[in-house]
Amino acid sequence: MTLALIVLLPFLGSLCAACLPASARNAEAWLAGIVATGCAALAASLFPEIAAGHVVRLSIPWLPQAGLELYLRMDGYAWLFTLLVSVMGALVVLYARYYMSPRDPVPRFFSFLMAFMGSMLGIVLSGNLIQLVVFWELTSITSFMLIAYWYHRPEARHGARMAAIVTGGGGLSLLLAVLMLGQIVGSYSLDDVLAAGDLIRAHRWYPAMLVLLAAAVLTKSAQFPFHFWLPHAMAAPTPVSAYLHSATMVKAGVFLLARLWPALAGTELWFWLICGGGAASLLLGAASATFQRDMKAVLAYSTVSHLGLITMLLGMNSELALIAAVFHMMNHATFKASLFMATGIVDHETGTRDLSRLSGLRHAMPLTATVAFVAAGAMAGVPLLNGFLSKEMFFTESLQAGGTGGLGIALPALAGLAGVFSVAYSLRFIHQVFFGPPATALPRTPREPTRGMLLPSALLVLGCLLIGMLPERTVGGALAIAAHALLGDRLPDYRLAIWHGFTASLLMSFVALAGGTALYVVLYVRGRALRRTPLISRLSGKRGFDVLNVTIFRGARRFVRTAFSQRLQVQLLLIVGAAAVAALLPLWRGGLAFGDAPLTPLDPTFAMLWLAGAICAVGAAVQAKFHRLMALIMVGCVGLVTSLTFAWFSAPDLALTQLTVEVITTVLILLGLRWLPRRIQFQEPLRHTLRARLRRSRDAAFAIAIGVGMAALAFAMLTRPGASRLGPFFLQNALEPAGGRNVVNVILVDFRAFDTLGEITVVGIVALVVYALLRRFRPAAESIDVPRAQREGLIGGGAHADPRALLPEGDLKIPAVLGRLLLPLAALVSVYFLLRGHDAPGGGFVGGLILATAMIVQYMVGGALWVESRLRIHPQVWIALGLLAAVAAGLAAWFAARPFLTAQVLELHAPLIGTVHLSSVLLFDLGVYLLVVGAALLMLVALAHQSLRSPRRELPGAVDGAAL
Amino acid sequence: MTTPGLPLWVTVPGTLLLVAGGLLAMIGALGLVRLRDFPSRMHAPTIGTTLGSGCVLVTSMLVSSAMLGRPVAHELLITLFVVVTAPITAMLLMRAAVYRDAIRKRSRR
Repeated sequence: MTLALIVLLPFLGSLCAACLPASARNAEAWLAGIVATGCAALAASLFPEIAAGHVVRLSIPWLPQAGLELYLRMDGYAWLFTLLVSVMGALVVLYARYYMSPRDPVPRFFSFLMAFMGSMLGIVLSGNLIQLVVFWELTSITSFMLIAYWYHRPEARHGARMAAIVTGGGGLSLLLAVLMLGQIVGSYSLDDVLAAGDLIRAHRWYPAMLVLLAAAVLTKSAQFPFHFWLPHAMAAPTPVSAYLHSATMVKAGVFLLARLWPALAGTELWFWLICGGGAASLLLGAASATFQRDMKAVLAYSTVSHLGLITMLLGMNSELALIAAVFHMMNHATFKASLFMATGIVDHETGTRDLSRLSGLRHAMPLTATVAFVAAGAMAGVPLLNGFLSKEMFFTESLQAGGTGGLGIALPALAGLAGVFSVAYSLRFIHQVFFGPPATALPRTPREPTRGMLLPSALLVLGCLLIGMLPERTVGGALAIAAHALLGDRLPDYRLAIWHGFTASLLMSFVALAGGTALYVVLYVRGRALRRTPLISRLSGKRGFDVLNVTIFRGARRFVRTAFSQRLQVQLLLIVGAAAVAALLPLWRGGLAFGDAPLTPLDPTFAMLWLAGAICAVGAAVQAKFHRLMALIMVGCVGLVTSLTFAWFSAPDLALTQLTVEVITTVLILLGLRWLPRRIQFQEPLRHTLRARLRRSRDAAFAIAIGVGMAALAFAMLTRPGASRLGPFFLQNALEPAGGRNVVNVILVDFRAFDTLGEITVVGIVALVVYALLRRFRPAAESIDVPRAQREGLIGGGAHADPRALLPEGDLKIPAVLGRLLLPLAALVSVYFLLRGHDAPGGGFVGGLILATAMIVQYMVGGALWVESRLRIHPQVWIALGLLAAVAAGLAAWFAARPFLTAQVLELHAPLIGTVHLSSVLLFDLGVYLLVVGAALLMLVALAHQSLRSPRRELPGAVDGAAL
Repeated sequence: MTTPGLPLWVTVPGTLLLVAGGLLAMIGALGLVRLRDFPSRMHAPTIGTTLGSGCVLVTSMLVSSAMLGRPVAHELLITLFVVVTAPITAMLLMRAAVYRDAIRKRSRR
């Protein structure tokens, strides 16, 4: 249970933080601080069990049939990381409290920071690999949000996008790797994977899986060749850089490498991939860091370099190197976070991070200078500080890992060179900022920061000192637990100590210190050379990324241009054609067999009805391009004929629905027609060119073929005996188990209620999309004018009618009065249809459409402004309420321990009224009703509001229709 | 309506009213086709929509009441709707026609 609490607590805190007001800086910080220390305390409370070598597990089954469960698992290694993440989190929260400006929207910051902490703890504690991927992606998302925290800055947006794409791609690759791993082992459980090391390494998928895993890990930990995102992520607020981009999130990659080390390491490929990537990052990062001007960029490249060091250690296939790697993860987190905090302090107090402008700050801020000085010493690997210890272990391992060949010389040489650079940039970082003559012309006058801001940094530096001087007493125990958890019986003999005697690695350490100092002196004297990294500055990963990005976008655009058309006719042709092909494929093989069910004799009246309908349909097709209004009217006639057909064959529900839908659709298209040219009058020759004729005959042939095909399909289906088997089933089951006499309605709200729920959700989404699209739409300048009749004063009314008048002036007066009388009546009818829907023709859908139609009539006769100054309808609220009601009706079944959306009946015996028969189905239908009203009104009103718009080029008019 | 149980006092007036309603509707439709200009044509279909549908509605009341054995008056509500909505349609149509004629007159000038 403690484990679940450790992961849940930050997410709960995140939710709470998001709800606090924007000015609650102290409350936010307290909340986040309590959450972080709470997680640390919970982890610490598990220490006795962990120290005894136990693994704490928590497994919550979710879908046991599919083998899915929530599995949290904490061993010594995970425990160490949990502690690191939560303690660092607490320190960063304290720091951020003083760093963030009162003007910043802090709820967003702390909310995402805590969500990140929860995701990171989730990675650390996941006992299931798929679950680990989920948390891995969550860290990418929260990191994106935090980098883009100041989203008004372009570099923040760019950096966030780059980080998201690179680490997101890595996440995808991790998912693939994990799936392959799961297939190899036969289980996604971490325990099983760790136990199946030999099987994995011998499997033929191993190389592919390892490459994918390496891609994931190298992107997350900002390793070469994916390191470029980290320096750009420095656009984030400094607490974020300290926490995510040095201490924890970038450690997720190396964390996973070490986690899977027992199962995957030990092969040649592992060595080349991991050690190679790490070595390249180590050297490139260190060299680049030496030549940066921005303090945070120095630290970012140095982070790349130090993570490279860890990756290299992990790639060396040696148990001792693994322990050194874990040790350096801890050490790096302490000194790098503290350096980031110091950088933030300098930035906060002076207003700049530019190394060439800063100088001599030790006079103004001696405490900060001391803290930064010690931390930078640890970064450089000065003896008696923690960085020295792990770096010396690294040198020892690099001397042994290469064997005796050329590699045996290359690895130590590379390690030494990187060490030289790391000393040089640490020295430069301290010397340029804190030494020399006091800087002039800084944006702000530097002074010592408040104690709260300095405290976390100082605590971390204290940790550096303690670990550096008394390693065995301070972290020896924790490291031993972690190493034991990783390696089990294979644990080698190792000793944490400052003094190992005069060894080659000690010599390397001192050579690096001396060489780094010499390098810095040379560069400083030459001065100008500090501008740009020699040799590799042209090798910009960012540029490559941008080029790739732009190429992909251009390619996609080109593909869209060639493969698709903006013309609706062509799109329609393609869609219908694709549907025809899809329908023809099975028919090609099986053929279309007509059944032999007896045919209903043809009624002459019905034949006349259909003849009229057919004429209207053909007329609509002919006029569609040249006289839209006429085409629309004829389409309406076709709809009417369809509706009558339904009524004729005793399907009153369908007839009603068809009728109301027809009305709404016609109004919708009419409102759209307002913005199109009234009539296209082609020049005669243009209308009769060969090309036009060909196109028209092609379209006609196509339309006829599709229509005939559909008719044939319908005929075949209806004449088969199978079609008659469905009906009796519904008829038998509608009344007895389902409790409704109207079978059509029972099918909609009960038999396939889940489909209906999906459908109304789609309707709601479509309405919102229409609204969102039209909100920014401005009609073309030539169609923006009020209609000619209104303009010339021939008729009154319209959208611009005076909203204050009780009745519109002129010839709309009587229709307005009658229309308003209609509204309550129509509302009554719509509710009547809703209530009786379950037993008689009607239902929520029809009722909703009726009410929407009545509302539209109000808009038509009164004008948008008139209606809305008296009657504020909020269609979005209707949509939301509708969905909520439908879902609530579904959830009601859970209280009776039945599946989702099972109808629940409640018999109430009320005085006076008698027995009331209440069903959750009615609530569901009410949801449909509310949603349909909201969706139809939202679309129609959004269209109607266009008449209040002015074209873009003019000033926003006195009447702004955007307020809906 | 071939329900055998209906009494004579329902079937006879009901049939007559139905036939009358149908005839009225047809006369209205013929008028729409035959009459010359828009204002005259406006009148023709209204015979069908008011008197014609009224006949059908009365029949419906008679038949439903007889079948259910109790007075049924839902049709009054339908009548109310027809009465309220028909003028709106007519006035809006007239308005459009007036406008069209005005435009035509202006362009002829």
